[in-house]
Amino acid sequence: MATTTATVSISSSDLMPGSPLSITANTVLTKAGVTAGLTQMETGVRSIVAGTEYRLGPLATEMAGDIHDVASYLYLCNTTTEDATYYIDWGIHETMIGKLYAGDWMFIPWNASDDAAEIEIEPQGGTNTIEYAFFNSDFILTTAA
Amino acid sequence: MATINATVTISSDISSYPTSINKTMTMTKSANPSVGLDETTGLRTKKFTTTTAAVIVEEDELTDAMAHKIYIRNTSTNRANFFYVAYNGSAAAAATAETIGKLYGGDWMLFPFDGAVGITVASSTATETQYLEYMVFADGIVAAKG
Repeated sequence: MATTTATVSISSSDLMPGSPLSITANTVLTKAGVTAGLTQMETGVRSIVAGTEYRLGPLATEMAGDIHDVASYLYLCNTTTEDATYYIDWGIHETMIGKLYAGDWMFIPWNASDDAAEIEIEPQGGTNTIEYAFFNSDFILTTAA
Repeated sequence: MATINATVTISSDISSYPTSINKTMTMTKSANPSVGLDETTGLRTKKFTTTTAAVIVEEDELTDAMAHKIYIRNTSTNRANFFYVAYNGSAAAAATAETIGKLYGGDWMLFPFDGAVGITVASSTATETQYLEYMVFADGIVAAKG
């Protein structure tokens, strides 16, 4: 059984003067509701031009089984080094949730409950480069034509 | 100006070659990436004993279209239970259009947030108490009106 561990450390000595911030959280990513580890992953690096919405990852119907709103995780980083005009809008389906600026990363559980719950990204400012990793147990290959 | 650093470390042996991700970001303002975020709503812990959806981040508390970051952790230990987390002003469930994902016991998430809509959560269980820990690193907080 594979073991996938995700840890975050957040620190600041001057956000709240007199009360230094130090958060550390660690989780072992497992299949839904059980202690068995995830079994599949998909990673990539892409350079994507601005002005177009892209789907990141599969649709629900492109994965095995019937239920996908379980134990899927996404790491996404904008590795661009440009100025603040470069960022990536990210969201679920048509709803944008936030802006991933150059150098920023995010880590979320992903609710791939149906085909209208896909992850969308839209680069702004110019060509942005992302690196990403999905952790899941439901990926399947597309049937050959 | 404050300096807030966040580091993610992911390791996995799913593939035969080990995966190791290690990335640090400094949280900065949208208008100037050399200026750090300097506001927060504070670290909060909330207890949930029902499955009723609850707003944990109010959209009218934050300036819209900015570079806020949200950290959320399910501090419970039972992997059978979870929270739905949604970018929605009132609902969080599998069928809610803007549900981001399920945060199982022990899981955490950190994501950029534009502040335009609230963040709502809903516990999966009313028979077991669950706790949520969360913090907003803000790029603009709207002062409360008297």
